[in-house]
Amino acid sequence: MSARATAIAFAILAIALTLAQFAVPARDWYHSWQYTVILAIAIVVMFAHAWRAWRGGDEPRGKRIALALAGALAVAVAGLLSGLIGPDTVTVLGTPGTVTPVGDIGAAAFFPQADPQTLPRGDATVILRRRGAGPIEVGSRPVPVGLSVAFTEMRPAAYVVVRDDRGDRLTITQPSNPSFLSPVILFRQSQLIHDRTFPLDTFAVPAAQRVVRILYFTAADLATFRRDADAPAPTEPGAILSASDDAGAQRGITMAASGRETAIGGLRVTVTLGSYPVLQIASAPQPYVTLGGLVLFFLAGVLAFVPEKKPQTGVSSPSYSQS
Amino acid sequence: MLASGCYSGGGPKHSVDGGGGPAMLTGAPAVSYAIPRVGGGTDSVASHRGSIVLMNFWATWCPPCKEEMPALEALYRSRRSQGLVVLGIDQGESTATAGEFAKAHGVTFPILVDADQQYASSYVSIGLPTTVIVGRDGHVVRGIDGAQTLGQFQALVGPLLAAK
Repeated sequence: MSARATAIAFAILAIALTLAQFAVPARDWYHSWQYTVILAIAIVVMFAHAWRAWRGGDEPRGKRIALALAGALAVAVAGLLSGLIGPDTVTVLGTPGTVTPVGDIGAAAFFPQADPQTLPRGDATVILRRRGAGPIEVGSRPVPVGLSVAFTEMRPAAYVVVRDDRGDRLTITQPSNPSFLSPVILFRQSQLIHDRTFPLDTFAVPAAQRVVRILYFTAADLATFRRDADAPAPTEPGAILSASDDAGAQRGITMAASGRETAIGGLRVTVTLGSYPVLQIASAPQPYVTLGGLVLFFLAGVLAFVPEKKPQTGVSSPSYSQS
Repeated sequence: MLASGCYSGGGPKHSVDGGGGPAMLTGAPAVSYAIPRVGGGTDSVASHRGSIVLMNFWATWCPPCKEEMPALEALYRSRRSQGLVVLGIDQGESTATAGEFAKAHGVTFPILVDADQQYASSYVSIGLPTTVIVGRDGHVVRGIDGAQTLGQFQALVGPLLAAK
């Protein structure tokens, strides 16, 4: 492989590795020595050939190739610095309806309200507001915010309604969670069952002196538990509820289907299962440097390899003159 | 916890977690939801913009909330003429339950029923009772966890009512 081809191959590799930080953010690998070494080698190879080409060592069009490599170098350096000195990924857990400061990007995250209609859809987004800037809606697609990218990850959630025997609603509390008075369960704990981890949480019903543990299963999880292979496969998530009183005595255990009222421990519990966003802030290459470098790489690269038209002299070529 | 009090006992476990209690909301615009009012109709904190609003999140099963009620009632009676609005916002219970409690305890200030617990979760309440004071400009002035005495309530709202 020629020196030029090697340099271009490294340029494409470096660009791909850097852009991966935008496309698939928050991977530990971007902060690993392997990632750093690959980009560092690419930078050295590209720089060496760009320098040679600029000084006439890769004619014709050596300067254009050097410029294209300079663009790729800028992208690679941005990717390298982000991986080397960029902050660790921050996970922001917000309670529905609250505003949470995100100091790492100088913004406030507005978490949406959740109710039994929105949770099963699982399409809620988080709004980021920064001083002097417009709101940014953050969903599952990474969005650049300063020197970071923000995106949401949907995690299991449940909206719980508890009624007494008369049908009157009862207050739900979450004694072990910061979202003490939210009826939205965010499953911040987990339980290991047969080498598999399942989302777990607890809520209390103080008026009835009950504590209810709730274990979340996806439809796929439930399908693996089927004993009768001929039975239809579950299509919706479900939850196992186990109730105890405030002395710790068991008051019942039952399987709850999403959205359907279930009687347990003297309570009538309706659990609507779905998902709620968690905000992730990951380091990212400087967006303007990356964009500028990409533009330079592609423009100069195209100009370097597009064949030039030969100047027309008005004299017929020998082959035509012979015909 | 269930037998004796109404506090989470947990609190924030991570610097960017949604916890931190209502005190962290000082200066933020007050969140408002229109919810049913005992006696009929709906009400919200936003409908009292221009007044000093004291919101108290409570529930009938909460002993400290019950103990605090007489102080709230006395505050309301003494400061109502100066423009203080007191809203007792029941968390998660039914209008009938909250109404029976208000009647039995001689509560005359407005009682709203937040069956979906939107107010307490939005104001990051980490226990009951929680008091949130909203200024005339619609921004949170103070958020306080736990029961207050009449003297403490007076000290909180007095300067705000005096400032025109």
